[in-house]
Amino acid sequence: MTIARHGLPLPAGTARTERALAGLPDALRAEWTKLRTAPGTAWILAAVCVLTIAVGAATAAATRCGGGTGCSIDPTKVSLTGIEAGQAVVAVLAVLVISDEYSTGMIAVTFTAMPRRWTVLAAKAVTLTSLVLAAAVVAVAGSLAAGRLILAGNGITAAYGFAVVSLAHGPTARAALGSVLYLALVGLLSLGIATIVRDSAAATGAVLGVLYVPPVIALFLGGEPTWQRWAERYTPMDAGLAILNTTGLRDLVISPWAGLGVLAGWAAAALLAAGLLLRLRDA
Amino acid sequence: MEATIEVTGLRKRFGSTLALDGMSFIVQPGQVTGFVGPNGAGKSTTMRVILGLDAPDQGSALISGQPYPRLRRPLSHIGAMLDAAALQPGRTARNHLLWLAHSQGLSGRRVDEVIERAGLTSAARRKAGGFSLGMRQRLGIAAAMLGDPPVLMFDEPFNGMDPEGIVWMRGYLRYLAAEGRAVLVSSHLMSEMQDSADHLVVAGRGKVIADTSVAELIAAASGDRVTLRTGARPEAMTVLAHAGATVAATGRDTLAVTGLAAEQVVARLSESGVGFSEISAHRASLEEAYMELTRDAVEFRAQPAEEEVR
Repeated sequence: MTIARHGLPLPAGTARTERALAGLPDALRAEWTKLRTAPGTAWILAAVCVLTIAVGAATAAATRCGGGTGCSIDPTKVSLTGIEAGQAVVAVLAVLVISDEYSTGMIAVTFTAMPRRWTVLAAKAVTLTSLVLAAAVVAVAGSLAAGRLILAGNGITAAYGFAVVSLAHGPTARAALGSVLYLALVGLLSLGIATIVRDSAAATGAVLGVLYVPPVIALFLGGEPTWQRWAERYTPMDAGLAILNTTGLRDLVISPWAGLGVLAGWAAAALLAAGLLLRLRDA
Repeated sequence: MEATIEVTGLRKRFGSTLALDGMSFIVQPGQVTGFVGPNGAGKSTTMRVILGLDAPDQGSALISGQPYPRLRRPLSHIGAMLDAAALQPGRTARNHLLWLAHSQGLSGRRVDEVIERAGLTSAARRKAGGFSLGMRQRLGIAAAMLGDPPVLMFDEPFNGMDPEGIVWMRGYLRYLAAEGRAVLVSSHLMSEMQDSADHLVVAGRGKVIADTSVAELIAAASGDRVTLRTGARPEAMTVLAHAGATVAATGRDTLAVTGLAAEQVVARLSESGVGFSEISAHRASLEEAYMELTRDAVEFRAQPAEEEVR
């Protein structure tokens, strides 16, 4: 099929791409219907927002600076602390998207209906990401609004020389956009790992392990700064969360966008491995 | 291209067990082909290979001439029910069918049609997790019918069905074949194939033991044994023995005759003026025929040189 739906001939070489992605629109629609009609989806998305905003607000409320100035507080980063909690819920949703099909055996029905397994994985990735992005926008906007209010109540305002929590402020806008992308990437990383591991419990464990364990290890090896720096530079959560910083960028081990890039690399690697295994293994 | 399933020389090993060992057969349109054999004979694995879920180590499976992964919108080429319980329990029956329909570019209207044909209208908005096994089988059949495919494949569809459901299922299978579709139905119980299958593929240890029509199989198992009831036993024995039959007395006034068809027995006895009160050609049940076959298969297994038993 080298003729697109609108009837225009396509340039040579697109045949293979088109064959590889044949059925993607159908697959997208099917996966969207699945995700929409799974009983847990709405609740999990709501939990992402609530947990992220609540943890951010609580952290902001606990953040004070006695003398008014002289503390090194990054108000945007404080407001977005909840991302670290909300990502766990994103991971749960992403794991469910594939592992629940393996545990119920429905994966056989899915691959019978859509034998091109890369297409199925792509459709799952796109539909999951669109929902996570939507939830993340709400969660991040809510966190920043709550943080701004609460921090101002604690006297952490521009008047005392602190950075402003405002999207008009460049670094804050970067942190906000970056956090939204961060959650989407965590979703993709989790989807990839869950596709490799298959079993829900094992997949949830693996994802949370990949996210939370390296920082803990780094903490245990506190006296070993090289390992700490390595962890902050290359592990998905530590590196990815560099995007939350709006102040003191020069002291960072990895720059905000580069850190998010590291996480994107992890997600891409996981999805690639997942896609290869999907093709190689029996369903 | 005619609607068929063509399985050729499938071999598949899972660890140390050889699940498929040269499985080959063809499913023709317009008839119900029973795929029988004991548990572990390789029936489900063969079906998974046909659907592209498992990759064979060797051999091929074609649906109407094409390998499964090559099919575009496959559910309009082949409908299958492998495991009726394979669904997410929290989703309603209708929504389960709806995502499947969307995966094939079909609309919700088609979903409502198959729901009605499967007799699930009243349960369509209930969560499929609460369904009885019989209802799940119906849901699975509705899913298989979504794309109105010319080829259908059901793995153990009678499992867990009540007698009423079994009668319905038999009728439905016959109806699908009468519409010209190729229908492959697996079962580990030969008795379930009685009155529903036209053709039988008998599997054992990963290969085909017999590939035959039901009529031929029964005729072969029945042999040409004739049971005769007569008051003049010695005379009858003499006459029939002269005609070349082997005659054995089985009761005070009954004889078992082999080597001579029933019509010829009647003709010879009439010629010689020997009276008889009853004559019947022995007809084996499918179950007996199956036992006979698997007994042969055991003998074949003792001779490893015999690879293809068809």
